[in-house]
Amino acid sequence: MINKPYNNRAWLGVLPVLLIVAFSAVIPLMTVVNYSVQDILDFNSRFYVGLDWYRETLQDPRFIEAFGRQVLFSLSVLAIEIPLGILVARGLPKNGAWTSVLLILLAIPLLIPWNVVGTIWQIYARSDIGLLGVGLNELGLAFNYTSNPTHAWLTLIAMDVWHWTSLVALLAFAGLTSVPPAYYQAAELDGASKWQVFRYVEMPRLGGVLVIAVLLRLMDSFMIYTEPFVLTGGGPGNATTFLSQYLATMAVGQFDLGPAAAFSVIYFLFILLFCWIFYNSVMVEDAEEPEGQRRD
Amino acid sequence: MTSVSRWVLVAYCIYLLLPLYWLMTMALRSNSDITGQFEVIPSNPTLANFAEIFSNPVWYQAFGNSLNYVVLNTLISICVALPAAYVFSRYRFLGDRQLFFWLLTNRMAPPAVFLLPFFQLYSSIGLFDTPLAVALAHCLFTVPLSVWILEGFMSGVPSEVDEMAKIDGHSFIYFFFRIFIPINRGAIGVTLFFCFMFSWVELLLARTLTGSVTKPIVVVMTRTVSASGLDWGVLAAAGALTVVPGIVVVWFVRKHLVKGFALGRV
Amino acid sequence: MANITLEELSFTYPGAAQPTLLPISVEIKDGEAFALLGASGAGKTTLLNLLSGLLVPTTGRILFDGVDVSEQSGSQRNLAQVFQFPVLYESLTVADNLAFPLSARKADNGLSGSDIKARVAKIAGELDIEHLLKRKPKALSLFQKQLVAIGRALVRPDVSVVLLDEPLTAVEPRTKWQLRQSLKRLQQELGVTMIYVTHDQTEALTFADRVGVMADGNILQTASPQEVYEHPAQEFVGFFIGSPGMNFVDITPGAGDNVYSHHGVASTAQRLGFRPEWAKLVKGAVAPELSKVSWSGTVTLNQVLGTQDGQPVGITTVMGDAGELKVRGPITGASGDKVVVVLDRFISFSNEKYMASHYND
Repeated sequence: MINKPYNNRAWLGVLPVLLIVAFSAVIPLMTVVNYSVQDILDFNSRFYVGLDWYRETLQDPRFIEAFGRQVLFSLSVLAIEIPLGILVARGLPKNGAWTSVLLILLAIPLLIPWNVVGTIWQIYARSDIGLLGVGLNELGLAFNYTSNPTHAWLTLIAMDVWHWTSLVALLAFAGLTSVPPAYYQAAELDGASKWQVFRYVEMPRLGGVLVIAVLLRLMDSFMIYTEPFVLTGGGPGNATTFLSQYLATMAVGQFDLGPAAAFSVIYFLFILLFCWIFYNSVMVEDAEEPEGQRRD
Repeated sequence: MTSVSRWVLVAYCIYLLLPLYWLMTMALRSNSDITGQFEVIPSNPTLANFAEIFSNPVWYQAFGNSLNYVVLNTLISICVALPAAYVFSRYRFLGDRQLFFWLLTNRMAPPAVFLLPFFQLYSSIGLFDTPLAVALAHCLFTVPLSVWILEGFMSGVPSEVDEMAKIDGHSFIYFFFRIFIPINRGAIGVTLFFCFMFSWVELLLARTLTGSVTKPIVVVMTRTVSASGLDWGVLAAAGALTVVPGIVVVWFVRKHLVKGFALGRV
Repeated sequence: MANITLEELSFTYPGAAQPTLLPISVEIKDGEAFALLGASGAGKTTLLNLLSGLLVPTTGRILFDGVDVSEQSGSQRNLAQVFQFPVLYESLTVADNLAFPLSARKADNGLSGSDIKARVAKIAGELDIEHLLKRKPKALSLFQKQLVAIGRALVRPDVSVVLLDEPLTAVEPRTKWQLRQSLKRLQQELGVTMIYVTHDQTEALTFADRVGVMADGNILQTASPQEVYEHPAQEFVGFFIGSPGMNFVDITPGAGDNVYSHHGVASTAQRLGFRPEWAKLVKGAVAPELSKVSWSGTVTLNQVLGTQDGQPVGITTVMGDAGELKVRGPITGASGDKVVVVLDRFISFSNEKYMASHYND
């Protein structure tokens, strides 16, 4: 690793970034915090209400429900995407003609506008015109995600798996291909079984990458908005209304600025927590990189 | 590569391809055809939907608008991130770790939180309904992401390169633009990929900050309703077309892609 | 512990125009320390990969204790390998790393847990790493990690052969000699057949009982380090071994050539080769003794390496009738002085192959 000299003039290089992000982040955030502690009846009458909105939000039954649904959703998709992503990565050929083709195929879902993902699954899962919807009904399953909450959940989860497993797979693939062939050779000479190779040669390399994958998916799934919005609109009823959608409805639809702002701050703090864990895991990984050149 | 993993890979590829296949068949059928009868393989394929998109300004302008702010955002992000990443990779300075962390938190911020403040902010400075508004708003996420990715790659370029340029008598500007940036071509390509991956796909902010002038494709698609209900054919064709830029970007950076993911700095 | 026979072994990569390895036949004895020495591209790695089962021979056979193993995989051949960088299981302790080759084959070798522990303790003792047994690889230095890697290769009592692929590459220079010594000692004590692949002649010559010098896919000579040094079978061997290597002079002795015929050198065109220490320098422009092969020239460079009996000794480069020659010995003459190079001993080569040794009486 480079030995980095100390130089405060480095701030010059960082200034443009600072300005842009401050403009995009700090000002709006300050606005939000500002709103969260005021009761805004209209532009002229505002009253400072302290932490009232926070109390109200945390006790709001709809908030708690949305939060519960969000947690269930995030955990469900994580439980599928992580193992599936690893298996897919292990199945990929390490190099060769097929590798590029398969990598591109895997990358495609990550590059589709999120509303299109919703639209694709809408077309695909509808019980009147969709391949999946019609197919399931032909098999006798009375599938209809627009009216049945369980079907709606399952479809959403299937959609998220379709959308994001590739991220885990690509991360895991990157981790696996970083294993020098000598390790596989040594394990073979040792007489290791296939399971032992996975456990002792591959898993340690995957470990770091997996932490990143889990945290990323956890955070991103916690913020999901567009895809469920397009597919189910949050329904049937409230069945698939998660946190972001609830917030968006509150803020834009109902114009309850105070509570919406408080909600936003709570939401953000939550994400911040994950972020902090993420940062520490990645930075610790990096610090371990240089092959321990310690004295004997 | 155990055979279990291979089978899972094959099954997953089919899982990926089926909805995409379905999208394509829908794009090649007229709306009445779609609602009329259910077919797995279209018997009357037609390019009329695509023709509609290429001839109707509402559609092709929307595509243009989206590409507009994505390119703008990518340019701004990379330009602003390059010096910052350089500096993070080469120097330590007061508050550097904290700054890096703060940048990261922005990448992770939920867009929903910024809806209202952004709307008010950009309206008040007269940027509402301009591509710059969306480009800048997306910078909130893409700039930290770019700094992070570029820093990861740049840390792998030895500082001897900098020193050699100095010894050869080159100015810093010359070194930075003629030596350092070309070395990091792969890194910039990967950053481009990830900026694109974020900006092209985002809906919430893009919808909030645009009006009738700069309507992006993501908005037009979510509002395609006519007297006879949703036009599935045109919608599918538009969807299919939104996948194309993504494929183009991946194709160009495919060689560096795995390395980008290897740094784990998604 | 096995003896290894290579019979007419050759290898060509699929689609390649030329073979990488020409037919090679060599026998390595049970318990022998054998070094494969050659520059990059000589074919050492290919030969190593054939031995370890990574590649299948194009022609010829490999026999372990008389059994044809050419088609068998590495693990079937029961061998072990030490790589250029330490290859360890990062998530296991040193003790578990050492035990792994034994416990992985527990079903086959029938060793009990306590047998394995005892063996691990023994090997750790031999390598002086008992104090590291509870640590994980990331807490070790490169040197220590490579010791563990060597331990892993030696832990199986029935290992057929240990292959070492430039094992000192990743280790810091100041600890290389330490590792070399440990390897040599272990090889002798445990009597394990070892094949050591390297491009470094010091490593090869100090480690091996016999050295196989490779070039262009061929083993040019297989002999003890002493033999390879004193009696190189081919010009290349003489040139490659030694620091600096042999000097070569083309000669075409005429019919009445007294000096050469005095030494029984046939009167055909050939090359004389001599090691820098097989000649001496005499000041002046004229050869002192008419019966010794000599050439005159001018000193161009003196490289002092030390002193002997108060006199500076080193390598002197002389430019003259016979081209550029290097002589090792007492420094005689400064740069620009006229000297005569007088040979005490030389070897004549014809078509690059050894013909005869000649000594001055």
